[in-house]
Amino acid sequence: MAAPLVLVVLAAVTVRAALYRSSLAVFIAERVEVASPLNAWKRVVEGLALLDLGVSPYSGAIFHETPLIIYLFHFLIEYAELVFMITDVLTAVALYLAIQDFNKVVFKKQKLLIELDKYAPDVAELIQTPMEMHYIPLKVALFYLLNPYTVMSCVAKSTCTINNSVIAFFILATIKGSAFLSAVFLALATYQSLYPLTLFAPALLYLLQRQFIPIKLKSRSFWLYTMQYASLYLCSLVVIICLSFFLLNSWDFIPSVYGFILSVPDLTPNIGLFWYFFAEMFEHFSLFFVCVFQINVFFYTIPLAIKLKEHPVFFMFVQLAIISIFKSYPTVGDVALYMAFLPVWSHLYRFLRNIFILSCVLIFCSFLFPVLWHLWIFAGSANSNFYYAITLTFNIGQILLISDYFYAFLRREYYLTHGLHLTRQDGTEAMLVLK
Amino acid sequence: CTSRFWFNYRHVANTLSVYRSVKRLGIPDSHIVLMLADDMACNPRNPKPATVFSHKNMELNVYGDDVEVDYRSYEVTVENFLRVLTGRIPPSTPRSKRLLSDDRSNILIYMTGHGGNGFLKFQDSEEITNVELADAFEQMWQKRRYNELLFIIDTCQGASMYERFYSPNIMALASSQVGEDSLSHQPDLGIGVHLMDRYTFYVLEFLEEIHPASQTNMNDLFQVCPKSLCVSTPGHRTDLFRRDPRNVLITDFFGSVRKVEITAEALALHRGVAALESKFPEEELATEPLKYAEQLPVAQIIHQKPKQKDWHPPGGFILGLWALIIMVFFKTYGIKHMKHIF
Repeated sequence: MAAPLVLVVLAAVTVRAALYRSSLAVFIAERVEVASPLNAWKRVVEGLALLDLGVSPYSGAIFHETPLIIYLFHFLIEYAELVFMITDVLTAVALYLAIQDFNKVVFKKQKLLIELDKYAPDVAELIQTPMEMHYIPLKVALFYLLNPYTVMSCVAKSTCTINNSVIAFFILATIKGSAFLSAVFLALATYQSLYPLTLFAPALLYLLQRQFIPIKLKSRSFWLYTMQYASLYLCSLVVIICLSFFLLNSWDFIPSVYGFILSVPDLTPNIGLFWYFFAEMFEHFSLFFVCVFQINVFFYTIPLAIKLKEHPVFFMFVQLAIISIFKSYPTVGDVALYMAFLPVWSHLYRFLRNIFILSCVLIFCSFLFPVLWHLWIFAGSANSNFYYAITLTFNIGQILLISDYFYAFLRREYYLTHGLHLTRQDGTEAMLVLK
Repeated sequence: CTSRFWFNYRHVANTLSVYRSVKRLGIPDSHIVLMLADDMACNPRNPKPATVFSHKNMELNVYGDDVEVDYRSYEVTVENFLRVLTGRIPPSTPRSKRLLSDDRSNILIYMTGHGGNGFLKFQDSEEITNVELADAFEQMWQKRRYNELLFIIDTCQGASMYERFYSPNIMALASSQVGEDSLSHQPDLGIGVHLMDRYTFYVLEFLEEIHPASQTNMNDLFQVCPKSLCVSTPGHRTDLFRRDPRNVLITDFFGSVRKVEITAEALALHRGVAALESKFPEEELATEPLKYAEQLPVAQIIHQKPKQKDWHPPGGFILGLWALIIMVFFKTYGIKHMKHIF
């Protein structure tokens, strides 16, 4: 499988290099859908320039990157394009290896359950075979590398690419089973943008499953392992934050990075839901609504953990999607990350109900974003409501996509254990409904 | 000009016409305070943007490249106007917005807008009364801010505005008497509004014939716009003026004319200078000539490029970071790789 992967990587690198040299690079770098105040390249350059002039980059409201990014780009700023391309390639390779391992795990588990007779007799067509699973890692890498969202994000040199790569390495480490590395990468991802904190739960569930520790609240080994993992994670987070203190000898970066993510002061339009609400809200209520919106991101972790505790990797996928929909400054780079996982669940295709409409909605909205932006800002014949409508539609499309996959996944699990042809008590055919 | 809104185009055109004549006759922008309450040239309803016309058929664009508006839009208020006149201005006001006159200055004040018996409307929301105006002029007289003042007003019932003046050396002209309305001159079908008021139109025609050397006097200005052309009766008031209006030239107020005498003989200057020089050589000033202390070496700074202070991450940080990375590496892959690396 190495050769096709190399081919895909080469194609992706060519596309990115071609776009870097074309005139579209400047246009893409300025698009608000691709570059948010948190991860725009312009701001990184500005912060480094301020540093060269002897001023702390966090003194204004421009720079919201972490000190490790300052350190990284201080030495690599001339090779920025190369850095971003290599990052994208590394992400794709990490995803490839992760999904390869994950496939083996899935297959082993399936075999175990078949031997334990946990499956109903007539579900032969639902079982995943190695043949169809053989190309999934390659498809994942392909989906990630050649996704227009990823390409745009890379050409715009948005640090979302780096965030994606850290999350991809975290997923790789988790699936390989190394608790220490996964804690370290999760700490790095949380350190950069706060929201991967919610990925702690699926990672923990996966590692517990791997160690064959049952997830019971009274079990001692469960709590022991949880404490170990949590302490690894928290310690690495604390160490990284303390290390960042020593870069500039100040704690300025904490309000600039985490305060900024949590309190959402910058209301530049983006593809998220925060800006419009807070632009029209009275000051008096803004604290309340900021809390509500931020809780909304973290809120789905516990119910999903309860429902999906047997399937932590699907949980991770859903959680990634929720982060990229509800985070305070989403960009299309975040969307690209969870979309890369869609081939892993291609076996759910027969249960997806609205996939055609949803893909149409997502594609149309992606095309309408620049159109309505132009109409609003340049032509002046539209206003912010138009752009917000497309934002809303895009997010609704994403949410429905995730809930569709969720429904399809649960339905398949149900069929696996209860048989394909469900009958009600009186013998007529039954339908599964997600309540 | 004190009126807002597009349909008061003519007031802006009036003011700009007088501004234009005054500039043409030699008064520079530094000596003119122009207050326009609305922007007609760039008004979205103006079919010919960046122009303000004062003739039908658009013969004369009074909004050229060199119009300097000192008080614009919402800055034209009664308070600002009175502050300009009396000089009670906050210290931060720029020079262009001040009336920097002294007791040798002749001041021309031209006001136009909508008015009534005893008041002039500013910005559709406030008024200046004739009493306030008279008091302001008295303050100017007491503070010696003018030598002679010519006050022209083109509004309905304009004569009521000069009834209350009591300070010396003021001459006033108005476009209509109390109880009469001043009417506008001509609508322009291309632009859609009236372009000028009648009185100012005829005053402008009169002023177009004045050049810096003309000897026309005030009596001729009083004859401008008789009732047959203006429909309203223009009025004037000269009782407070010390000189006879027959002897007052138009260019005294409208133009900047200086008396220049050309002489062909040379003046001997050395006598005084030699006397001065002879005094000093006795006192040998041993001290160095006084220089302005160079507190800020400006010349040095502006010719110096900013020093490129390269920022480097502190050593402790680099050490800590790489130590951590190596620790993580060895923790995951085991210590046994150490001997392969070293």
